[in-house]
Amino acid sequence: MSLEVTVPNVGESISEVTIAQWLKSDGDVVEMDEVICEMESDKATFELTAEAGGKLSIVAEEGETLEIGGLVCKIDESAAGEGSADTSKEENTDSQAQSQNDNGGNEQEHKSSDSSEGEVVEMNVPTVGESITEVVIASWLKSTGDQVEMDEVIAEIESDKATFELTAEATGVLETIAEEGDTLNIGAPLCKITKNAGGSSASSTQTAAKEDETPNPMPAANNDSYASGHSSPAAAKILAEKGIKAENVNGTGKDGRITKEDALNAKASTAPKAPQKSAEKSAPSPSLKVEGRGQERKRMTPLRKTIAKRLVQVKNETAMLTTFNEVNMQPIMDLRKKYKESFKKKYEVNLGFMSFFTKACCLALQEFPAVNAQIDGDEMVYNEFCDISIAVSAPKGLVVPVIRNAEEMSFDTIEKTIVELATKAKNNKLSIDEMTGGTFTITNGGIFGSMLSTPIINAPQSAILGMHNIVERPMAVNGEVKILPIMYVALSYDHRIIDGRESVGFLVRVKELLEDPSRLLLGI
Amino acid sequence: MKYDITIIGSGPGGYVAAIRCAQLGMKTALVEKYSTLGGTCLNVGCIPSKALLDSSEHYHNAHKRFEEHGIKINDLGVDMPQMIKRKDSVVSQTTAGIDYLMKKNKIDVHHGLGSFQDKNTIKVLNDKGEVNTFTSAKTIIATGSKPANLPFIELDKERVITSTEALNLQKVPDHLIIIGGGVIGLELGSVYARLGAKVSVIEYMDNIIPTMDRTMGKDLQRSLKKIGVKFYLQHKVTGVSRSEDQVTVTAEDKKGQTVEFLGDYCMVAIGRKAYTEGLGLENVGITTDKQGRVEVNEHLQTSQDNIFAIGDVIKGAMLAHKAEEEGVYVAEYAAGQKPHINYNLIPGVVYTWPEVASVGYTEEQLKEKGTAYKTGAFPFKALGRARASMDIEGQVKVLADKQTDELLGVHIIGPRAADMIAEAVIAMEYRASAEDIARMSHAHPTYTEAMKEACLAATEDRALHV
Repeated sequence: MSLEVTVPNVGESISEVTIAQWLKSDGDVVEMDEVICEMESDKATFELTAEAGGKLSIVAEEGETLEIGGLVCKIDESAAGEGSADTSKEENTDSQAQSQNDNGGNEQEHKSSDSSEGEVVEMNVPTVGESITEVVIASWLKSTGDQVEMDEVIAEIESDKATFELTAEATGVLETIAEEGDTLNIGAPLCKITKNAGGSSASSTQTAAKEDETPNPMPAANNDSYASGHSSPAAAKILAEKGIKAENVNGTGKDGRITKEDALNAKASTAPKAPQKSAEKSAPSPSLKVEGRGQERKRMTPLRKTIAKRLVQVKNETAMLTTFNEVNMQPIMDLRKKYKESFKKKYEVNLGFMSFFTKACCLALQEFPAVNAQIDGDEMVYNEFCDISIAVSAPKGLVVPVIRNAEEMSFDTIEKTIVELATKAKNNKLSIDEMTGGTFTITNGGIFGSMLSTPIINAPQSAILGMHNIVERPMAVNGEVKILPIMYVALSYDHRIIDGRESVGFLVRVKELLEDPSRLLLGI
Repeated sequence: MKYDITIIGSGPGGYVAAIRCAQLGMKTALVEKYSTLGGTCLNVGCIPSKALLDSSEHYHNAHKRFEEHGIKINDLGVDMPQMIKRKDSVVSQTTAGIDYLMKKNKIDVHHGLGSFQDKNTIKVLNDKGEVNTFTSAKTIIATGSKPANLPFIELDKERVITSTEALNLQKVPDHLIIIGGGVIGLELGSVYARLGAKVSVIEYMDNIIPTMDRTMGKDLQRSLKKIGVKFYLQHKVTGVSRSEDQVTVTAEDKKGQTVEFLGDYCMVAIGRKAYTEGLGLENVGITTDKQGRVEVNEHLQTSQDNIFAIGDVIKGAMLAHKAEEEGVYVAEYAAGQKPHINYNLIPGVVYTWPEVASVGYTEEQLKEKGTAYKTGAFPFKALGRARASMDIEGQVKVLADKQTDELLGVHIIGPRAADMIAEAVIAMEYRASAEDIARMSHAHPTYTEAMKEACLAATEDRALHV
């Protein structure tokens, strides 16, 4: 079994890295976690460690520039010298194809014999991981009739674990079989590529899929030209700026070209093109929708997609775990009861729990700087300020506006800032600036009744505090059972940068500060 | 002083970038080493060479063609100093125009050698030795290129010269030896050949304008031979020496035999190389590649993400309009927009007569890519408009996808080819097919009908006038 080592995600804006130097040579036997290679991004240099022990076969040479996820090398865990340097170099050329799946074996056979014109290559859903049995076509980046190049990315496919790119297995004309949004089993047919042949009306269009997994076969013989969906220069710029893929825009220009007007009118949620086409042709396309037992399919909004992508990314790329504690909320509740009215009178804002939590976190963050730090390449960035992101549920999805320099704020300023940001969030008025750059996040699942949860870190931050509901629980106090209002708190953190001592210490410190708020005043 | 963006170099890339930045609301500075704005293109490149090409073309027509038109002239002659003077006034008018555009757009122009002190600090050293330092959030390197030379050639800039000096000769050479059969060599070679000089072009490759479609090079060679240009292809120059007013160029022909050329001027026109001298790249950790070009990513960003580079100083064709596109791209990208450049659709032009212009893939590239293509060609001699003006040399050659009929390349050699190529660029940006063009009305009589006819020929061999 040979393990493929790909370029790790090294930072928010970094899309490619260069192999600076190999510390090991092709054929060397390497140990797990041993540094095998130095890489450079435009921001930093970092070391690549072996993900397993075994025999190294280098794919990307020194000086080569690779995209994130690009194939760097392979490690033959059985250490039996079967993978010679030659074969690995060959695979280098389709490293993109490699990076999408862990065992690219089953599709490799299709790639043989390049230019036998007219030959139809059928592409099936590749095996993407051990436990994954089905995938969803997130989007076709190419549509039927398009000329595609071998190894060009033609579709984005989502599994319940990750999104990956599907690359063409041959050069030729694409005919999609599965449609966007379809859920397919591993091995189900995805599309066909008629090698090197052009023309949308390729005869193979008629070859409807035989297998059951193909719920929406593309209707045959459409009027598309090769230029359908091609954006004019001005339209292309507008679409890029709106973040809309040309595939999702219905071109009204000659032969389906996308005009500037089409781009101006395009909305992020524009219905996918393919289904409309099938409707036009009144082709009997069996729908996934089951009559009588309602089920609605909606396209993911770009925000939802981003959220999904980011969350999965964090899960995949950090060493995340969660530590818990419980907080006796009685002292804070007493304090609030006592000063609620006078606070409101003076500051015209309610004294909520958030200001206490924010203040407590700021103090604790200053004492445990690692929790307020983040990883950038192979460097750790320690922030001397506390910019606290507050998770807010907005109409389109979760957003996290930032309270800047919260450590310097008074209780009333924090409360007012939260109200202001939450109002903006509800009206979709938050600017990108207001949502970027936090150093630590607080999320309150308690308002929805959550007892306990393990929040996901808000990357590139390293930790997140989860608040929960306050429930009266019997507690042992000085040998007696007392009923106290208790909140469980959770701290999810990136173990790569924060050790257990710091994370647990941080949470205990937050607990101390909340259970005795006068400490907040004195900073002890 | 604190700027949002500074552009170092005021050539067509730099000054266009400055205008676009100013349009987008950035506080913009432009730094220029020379006393006039406009860079190579306006001062010692595109504009002055076109001025001389037009002057020499008039003379050539008067000398060779007026009689056939029924125009009689006595005492025809060349007044070289006047020709150069007119060229100089064209240049000064044009560079003054840039001064006006900078004022209009409220761009601060700093004259002097601009360099990086650090990634946000620009130092400008003017020719009086004064230093002016200011900060800039972003910077665009647009320092362009200089004529390249061979290591063994000593440029004395009097008799062994580059294109820069060739634009300022006060007399017509007797025999101008040109090293390099590329665009620059052929344009200036045409100028002096038309004015009566003997011109010899020595080229290392086996064809001239080697980056263009092969047909273009062959046709152009035939046309230039007619005005007296001699070509020595597959000749490797081994030495250049000067004694008094005599220049001797030695070369090896393809059989390895030494050939000697005697002339009074030798112009080295083997290309240009990126120019970054004195820019202080080392202070900001920006590296250059083997050819001295600044390395940039797909957003034209250097390794410092607030420093960009455009035009001749980075990879790609050394063309003014390529630099302009990149200038606009960077300005818009820096402003948070998402522009794009289709590098395959940047046209290449040679201002000889006939002119050569080209966009998209060459036939050689399509063969190499293994693309199934078809060709359509139409000769200008079959065109009424061309016969009326006696500009019957050349052809339009169209390459289209065999299956889809999409235009993949358009190559024109003929009258006004440089202007005609615009139609091909637009068509190809919209991915038009050959038949699309063939079905669009082209005014009659015009040179552009040749484009329509070539597309008809490519469609189903349906050209009407051959």
